[in-house]
Amino acid sequence: MNAETHLMQMDAHVAPDQLEIAAGREREQLEGWVPELATDDEKRLAFEKAFDYRGDVTLTLKDGRRINGYVFDRRLGATLEDSVVRIIPSNERTKLSVSYAEIAAIAFTGRDTAAGKSFEAWVKKYHEKKAAGEKNIAIEPESLE
Amino acid sequence: MAVPVSQAWTVATYILKQKWSGRKRFPLVTMLEPLFRCNLACAGCGKIQYPAHILKQELTPEECFRAVEEAGTPMVSIPGGEPLLHPRIDEIVAGLVARRKYVYMCTNALLLKEKLHLFKPSKYLSFSVHLDGQREHHDFAVCREGGYDIALDGIKAAIAAGFRVTTNTTLFDGADPNSIRAFFDELMEVGVEGMMVAPGYTYEKAPDQKHFLGRARSRRLFRAILSNRKKAWKFNASPMYMEFLMGKREFTCTPWGMPAYSVFGWQKPCYLLQDGYADTFQELIDTTDWNNYGTESGNPKCANCMVHSGYEASGVYYTFGSLRGLLDTAMAVFFDKYQDRGALDLLNAPAKSHTPLVQISSHAHAEEDQRTTA
Repeated sequence: MNAETHLMQMDAHVAPDQLEIAAGREREQLEGWVPELATDDEKRLAFEKAFDYRGDVTLTLKDGRRINGYVFDRRLGATLEDSVVRIIPSNERTKLSVSYAEIAAIAFTGRDTAAGKSFEAWVKKYHEKKAAGEKNIAIEPESLE
Repeated sequence: MAVPVSQAWTVATYILKQKWSGRKRFPLVTMLEPLFRCNLACAGCGKIQYPAHILKQELTPEECFRAVEEAGTPMVSIPGGEPLLHPRIDEIVAGLVARRKYVYMCTNALLLKEKLHLFKPSKYLSFSVHLDGQREHHDFAVCREGGYDIALDGIKAAIAAGFRVTTNTTLFDGADPNSIRAFFDELMEVGVEGMMVAPGYTYEKAPDQKHFLGRARSRRLFRAILSNRKKAWKFNASPMYMEFLMGKREFTCTPWGMPAYSVFGWQKPCYLLQDGYADTFQELIDTTDWNNYGTESGNPKCANCMVHSGYEASGVYYTFGSLRGLLDTAMAVFFDKYQDRGALDLLNAPAKSHTPLVQISSHAHAEEDQRTTA
């Protein structure tokens, strides 16, 4: 299970079958964050958040190497040595496994790719463009270049 | 029945073989995601929120075939992303058809007409077109004005060329049941083979986190939509799953029923939740703590889920799990009108929603439905 900071905002007293609206999730603003990694718990929490993050991060290893990429998985063991972050570097098609124990620092350097794209933002944009007389209004996918 | 007899037979014999061999957890449909790139940017979608270098990645045909053979399912669904953006999608589909897999290629159909020539009609291939309701509703849901008309053109072209075409509809909070029923009429008139419909799931990574149905509201909505069925309507879904949506039946989740494979590997535990990835299908089955998933587990991430990927397999497995299951399914197939006065009343009830812009209301359709089902 993910860190408690990511718990969905669901009323614990309401049984799922009685729910009228599915509670969504409050997302933290993580873009640009450089967490402290002084303790084992801080490390575990930071890598859990990296796994949930919708953008790239930069890992700095204890031997000085830096890896920029997307954390698509993490595997938790009993110790930091047994736990790994699985990352796809931004410049090659490969999957790297890096032990928590090898990592000296992590920075949430990439953009949160979903931030600011709520349904309300779309509705607002739609009405503004409609009022301006525009046609074929749409949210276009971002350029990949 | 909206599924060809040969497909129903293939699925039935597959399930019985798995049961006779004593396999405890076996999948029904492989969800093959050959890429996450899409030509839409729907606010409710949780499948495309990745950095550009991830969105540029694609599974090769060989990787696709290996994954499908690993899972061994008789059916393969190809979602994404938009699969028609994959430069080798024709090879992937042809290879799966050659392996006699029943392939549902999920598409928003924006490119369907243009790319139809890449494919050959086959009983093994269906285009499953994503349409979230009538024109205004669909366009609003997918954040693109004009999308419905393009998709409908694609559907018509595919049907005219001899392809099997089904539709896949996701409903959000604020969906108007009368409009959905009118939408079903429109799809049947166009000539689609069958329709799929399900409530949306609150993807953790989706930009939109506020417009998803809870289970109580989902059941009322689906009771209103799927009761008092018109004879012309055909659904490409398990009758037991549809009864589950209508609140007539309880199932527990089968998260391994429709496992998802992508550039990350096998997704744990299911198509919707991302709790990690396994490198092989066997690893997925062996290392996932399945007790943590499904609404019945108490996992808050599963609280609102009533989606195909967890519960359609439950419905199908129920059908083939006992004589009672077979009889219940036969009853649902032969007596599929589901007359329900209370459901008609629901059609006339004012829509409860904090998101009135998602769908528009149309009481004219409710009156028409009452006349035609009376």
